[in-house]
Amino acid sequence: MLGYILRRVLGLIIVILLASMIAFFLMHAVPGGPFDELKMPLPEAVKKEILKKYGFDKPIWEQYLNYIWNALHGDFGVPFQSPTETVLSLIARVWPVTLQIGAVTIFLSFSIGILLGIISALKQNTWLDYLITTIATLGTTVPNFVIAIWLILFFSITLRWLPTGGWGEPRHFILPVMSYLLAPTAVITRFVKVNFLEELRKDYVRTARAKGLPEKTVIFRHVFKNALVPIITMLGPMIPDLATGSIFIEVTFRVPGLGKFFYTSALNRDYPMIVAMILLIAVLWGITYLITDIIYAYIDPRIVFT
Amino acid sequence: MFKKLVVLFTMFMIFATLSPAFPAAVKNSAGRTLPPDAAPLEYQVLRIMSQSATTLDWFISVYKRTNDANNYFGEPLVRLNKNFELVPAAAKSWRVSKDGLTWTFILDKNIYWTDGTPLTAEDFIFSFQLAADPKHGWDFAWFYSPIKNWDKAVRGEVSPSEIGIKQGNDPYTLIITTEYPAPYLPMMMLYSTPLSKKAYQKYGPYYNNDPKTSVSCGPYVLEEWTKDKQIVFRINKNYGGRVKPYLEKIIVTFGDPGASAFKSYLAGEIDICGYSNSQIFTPADLEVIEKDPELSKQFHQGFGDFRTFYLGFDCYNPPFNNPKVRQAFAYAIDKESIVNTIIRKQGITAYGFLMPGFPGANPDGLKNIYTYNPDTAKKLLAEAGYPNGKGFPSLDMWVRSDLASPTVVAVANAVGAMLKKNLGIDVKITVKETKTFMDTLNAHKLQFYLVSYGMDYLDQSNMLGIWASTGRHAWKNDRFDKLVEEASSLIDKKKRDEMFKEAEKILVEDVGGIFLWHQTPGVLWKPYVKGRDLEPDKYGITALHWPGIEGVGTTVFSIYISKDVLKYRK
Repeated sequence: MLGYILRRVLGLIIVILLASMIAFFLMHAVPGGPFDELKMPLPEAVKKEILKKYGFDKPIWEQYLNYIWNALHGDFGVPFQSPTETVLSLIARVWPVTLQIGAVTIFLSFSIGILLGIISALKQNTWLDYLITTIATLGTTVPNFVIAIWLILFFSITLRWLPTGGWGEPRHFILPVMSYLLAPTAVITRFVKVNFLEELRKDYVRTARAKGLPEKTVIFRHVFKNALVPIITMLGPMIPDLATGSIFIEVTFRVPGLGKFFYTSALNRDYPMIVAMILLIAVLWGITYLITDIIYAYIDPRIVFT
Repeated sequence: MFKKLVVLFTMFMIFATLSPAFPAAVKNSAGRTLPPDAAPLEYQVLRIMSQSATTLDWFISVYKRTNDANNYFGEPLVRLNKNFELVPAAAKSWRVSKDGLTWTFILDKNIYWTDGTPLTAEDFIFSFQLAADPKHGWDFAWFYSPIKNWDKAVRGEVSPSEIGIKQGNDPYTLIITTEYPAPYLPMMMLYSTPLSKKAYQKYGPYYNNDPKTSVSCGPYVLEEWTKDKQIVFRINKNYGGRVKPYLEKIIVTFGDPGASAFKSYLAGEIDICGYSNSQIFTPADLEVIEKDPELSKQFHQGFGDFRTFYLGFDCYNPPFNNPKVRQAFAYAIDKESIVNTIIRKQGITAYGFLMPGFPGANPDGLKNIYTYNPDTAKKLLAEAGYPNGKGFPSLDMWVRSDLASPTVVAVANAVGAMLKKNLGIDVKITVKETKTFMDTLNAHKLQFYLVSYGMDYLDQSNMLGIWASTGRHAWKNDRFDKLVEEASSLIDKKKRDEMFKEAEKILVEDVGGIFLWHQTPGVLWKPYVKGRDLEPDKYGITALHWPGIEGVGTTVFSIYISKDVLKYRK
């Protein structure tokens, strides 16, 4: 087991190095640079000084090695977009915002999704099942930024109950979380329903029922546990997804989170931020998959690490 | 009898003072008396939305400032009123020498920084020298080219201390010398909001990002800057300049103006919407506004920044190095129908580069040079060697992403369809990310594109100057270059105007670009936002006039919140 984890961590480090290298070289291959020439070309001397200031006058491999060396010492540079802080302090400032929204969304989507999924399975082919299925289908097909606009129109402009955006008060949570919520909830609902129905048809359920166990015990003690195990697979990828935020939701609701920086960093050729964000994603995905696999091994006795 | 009168008079005075029918005049924190219909002081807050910013200072970065919502705590040499006239600001007067090369600005001695230091020529000299220093890497370093030694300094050939900005006989006299006579120099000095030399040297370039280190000599001081959330400006009680404001506070919420401003306005969270270029209303927004009688009344259209949208070419290489090809294009595009069906309210047909209302604009003189005529277009293309478009390469029209609103993309598609229909040329439309676009354009490698330009100051030399062969376009006409260069430095206004007129005519005739439309952007403000600068200008136009509510204009300082606000704000 320990050997397996070590091997995976080693693999992760290689992935991170590769990701940083690809990001670094691709980024420099794109036209434009950390200077703005929206109206007229800048004088060459000025451009040269800007490049020098950020160390871009050196050969690219030297820049990369410098970057890795500094990064190993915890120095990821200074974001061009916010030169009064470091990349790390910027991420430390904005990431918690995205994480808070992500955590609430994961908690709510799982609670609501599991509940609706079970109801849908137990009341299969009734109006309740149809209603839940319709909502779930809508949830998976309508993109969250469209939902966001509907919510703003209804709750902010028509009713004026909630602000159109902003951050700092609990009420600022409501609309972004609602926009995020529908899609994962819908997917979980469908997933739980299908698993539940599958389990209900298994032999051990028939045996339990034949033994005369009350239906409640059959459902909650036996079926419930087995049907929920596969959901861990879903939780895994959802974490890095929600933990990095969405540009659409964050820009629409003016949430000062990490999501919009994926976009603004690329637009501004904010090289230190771009590499840092790509590394962050690589690490997040790597770790999440590793943890998911380990948890799996504990829950499902059929899985053995070799 | 007299005693009775005295008693009556006294009673009347007591009554008058206590009665709400005779309210005493209210003065704000800066000592300015509010208009009679103004709401109470606590309501004198203006809420606007802007893009998140890296700095507020012009001389630190032009493109990383908040859009149009800054410079409230600085004092430029001059300001611009709603009639586009220069008015004194930090400079109470200015004069030019006979040869037109030396400008003397006399500074107002009543203006102090909030740390108690007087605003002197030294602060201006420091700011300009910083901007000219290539080590500073300033993103607008090309701008002050007429100033003596400016270009040499930004090229690193002379020290920034050699530029033509010096102190006169006393600290309140600023002398600017130019390479050649530049009658528009005072207009350029709209952009001169200085940095405090003392604060910069003590706290570094971003001293204005933190209320603790921020220093103001303007009408407002920085009260709060919460990153990615908002900036709050508070009235400067000790402001000694000419534009004492009414508003106690200005709150600038950060948000993507395109994505959030209109919604926030509808929800009553901001008071003005659409004051910057990135806040152009989409066709869908306009429909909402048109259908709502209340909103329609709040919608005002103006000159914007005299922005012209145009098609550009690489005139150095085939096929566009052949003037007949460009002329064929000019005849093949029906601008009027583009404006009538797509642009609608948001612009007027362009016949030249200068928009009506801009100094020296000549729409009538240019109107008939190219009128829509598919037959002539076909004939010219055939003469150029491409009968019915045969052998003509298929084109990729680039549209700059920051300008690519749904309306602009629709125009690009319409132009593509017209070229296909009238000339048999295939045109693909590509929305190109801004930096890639500008990199290619500035390198003169962009074959065919749709882009726009908005002015920096109101003088022909600014708008037409960008078409000089040293500028961003791959188009060269020696006569044009000569005319613009000479006219720019002429003091004789009549002759100057004539030369610019001729230059613009050459630009249109030789099809340096095809000018499609001038943008007349709309702006919404709530009925309770009032002020002198929001009333009709000398042309009879009621709108937010350029530079909008930026501190280098006078608008924001004339605005107050009227009592009607009580019906809207809780």
